[in-house]
Amino acid sequence: MELFDTATVLTRVLTSGVVMSIEKSDRELPGLERLLTKQTGRAKAVLLNSRSAAVHAALAGQGIGHGDRINRPGLGRQDLAFVNWLGISVIEEGVEGGVEEGPVAFDHLALDPENAHQLGEWARRSTAPALVVDLTGLGFGPAAAVLTDDADLWARAERLKIFGAYDLRTMWTQEEADSNLVPGVQFNYRLSPLVAACVRMALSQAARPHTTSGATK
Amino acid sequence: MITDFPAAPLPLPDEAELAAELAAFGGGAMIPKEMRRTIFPVITKEDVFNLMLAQRALPERVVADFAESYRDYVGANHALPTASGTSSLHLALIGAGVQPGDEVIVPAFTFIATAQAVVAAHAIPVFVDIDPRTYCMDPQAAAAAITSRTRAIMPVHVHGLPADVPALRALCDQHGLALVEDASHAHSAKIGSATAGSLGDAAGQSLMADKNFPLGGEGGIAFFATEEAYRRAADYVERHGIDYRMSWVAAAFGASQLKRLPYYDQVRARNARLLGEILDGTGLFRAPYVPEGHVHAYNMYRITLLPEAVGLDDLPVHAVKEAVHELLVAEGVPAREWQNSPIPCHLPFQHRAGFGNGYPFSLNPGAVRDHRPEDFPVTVGMLDSTLVLCRELRSPVEYERALRYADAFAKVARRPDAIRKLVADNDYRRPYEKAARLG
Repeated sequence: MELFDTATVLTRVLTSGVVMSIEKSDRELPGLERLLTKQTGRAKAVLLNSRSAAVHAALAGQGIGHGDRINRPGLGRQDLAFVNWLGISVIEEGVEGGVEEGPVAFDHLALDPENAHQLGEWARRSTAPALVVDLTGLGFGPAAAVLTDDADLWARAERLKIFGAYDLRTMWTQEEADSNLVPGVQFNYRLSPLVAACVRMALSQAARPHTTSGATK
Repeated sequence: MITDFPAAPLPLPDEAELAAELAAFGGGAMIPKEMRRTIFPVITKEDVFNLMLAQRALPERVVADFAESYRDYVGANHALPTASGTSSLHLALIGAGVQPGDEVIVPAFTFIATAQAVVAAHAIPVFVDIDPRTYCMDPQAAAAAITSRTRAIMPVHVHGLPADVPALRALCDQHGLALVEDASHAHSAKIGSATAGSLGDAAGQSLMADKNFPLGGEGGIAFFATEEAYRRAADYVERHGIDYRMSWVAAAFGASQLKRLPYYDQVRARNARLLGEILDGTGLFRAPYVPEGHVHAYNMYRITLLPEAVGLDDLPVHAVKEAVHELLVAEGVPAREWQNSPIPCHLPFQHRAGFGNGYPFSLNPGAVRDHRPEDFPVTVGMLDSTLVLCRELRSPVEYERALRYADAFAKVARRPDAIRKLVADNDYRRPYEKAARLG
């Protein structure tokens, strides 16, 4: 993204005065959620402040936790270490111990300025219940998202975040009608609106060809 | 252009308004509806300029420079910038040597992140009651909770008032425990000349944009007394693939805010003094207690109600509080409870799923309790009898707003008859009988 565009986005958000993720009047985080769901064709987006947070949300969203195991081939060293820290064991593709493992727990991809225009195409190929999108490579600091069509997965993933979207809608009341949705451990995995605004601009620009104004012709 | 610039200035206080009918009963509000927005954080041209400059710098450099500046301000030996206050507390505990299954003593009255950070460290939070005057951890209660598996005590400098660190330090030294501060409310708070964050073996501190010292959105920082503790925390995130890094965007904003923090500290202290003097003159309200030698940062300002001072001692104090709350909100004062239940009574600590299948609680079942609010009588008593202002002292451009808040409290205190009527007309429940709130 051009420095001028980044400067414009940052100045716009600062001028609004809303830089806090738990501000009810924040428009940047919902804006990025809308863009991601539109570009990926998924119903729901969960925004997070790092790739590892997104991996956690993708798993916790499916009720996968300590002592469980997942089928997720091809994870890198960092992802593997993190999943193991969660107490979840990772099984390589196919058959282990003669037992056929289930579907892949989540798909994952990492975006940067060069490949960000491929998000939609990659998302169409993904078949896992959760798609982890690492947005860190876009250049605004650690950022990520989980995309899903599963409303329960989204609900549990949001509850992993202290002051997640659910808490904001209930004005922070932790009453739960469904005991399956009661959070366990919670982290502040919230993304900053300033970062979200920059990511949104970068993704928007990647999705459409850059055009010059008439004045420059 | 969406802007937070105020549409109109607040009118200056007027003595006649104090004697007017309460807003809840049809009178005019002390702060008109269209003028109730409290602007925070204050964002200046310096913040914008600093963010522009940061675009040209290496992101890691921007974050490292910020962390070094703030470490120096706090006077801590080592600092690790993080993405949030919760992650900073997690790493402070790891740096202090907390291991899976260890017990960490925390106050029952705090934000839920204090206790969740303990769980994040795969340890068990052991909850204790608070001191009735400071609302911070009671050292005697902490002493009573120590077992052979206790590894650390983590007091919270609640609302910005430093906990009784000398007593807790002595307790830790006596039992060979680590002292880990939760300094998330306590930017610039002090005991003597030592700043919160530098008082313990380690500390975690939130720097989210709703704190007295805000970054550009979300952030935190962990402080360590020794290089060994710092290394332990830094190695931990690397070894376990945990990405707790702070965004350069948040850090650049914080770098310019830090330069103005002493100014904002002075304004907050001035507003607290101004409000306190008026509250103490009302009879019904009492300003926060600050022990000698402590500097309160006033991230929040907890006001105690004294119904007996205005002839309302025959009424339940929680009902008086609810009525006063209604009256104040009608006057345009955004007073709130900020917590209505002890943290161990929140759902995550009632169900204790943890990371799944009850981990890490399963590592140390003997440390786990099914708590009820009554287990923490001081906390419950405080929740029954206090109200909180949050951002309302932090808005340094609006001195007249602080005056109007003070007048609103004075106006309500003059009307015990109105409070009595509301209590008679409503069936107010005790705070903890409602669903637990995060804030």
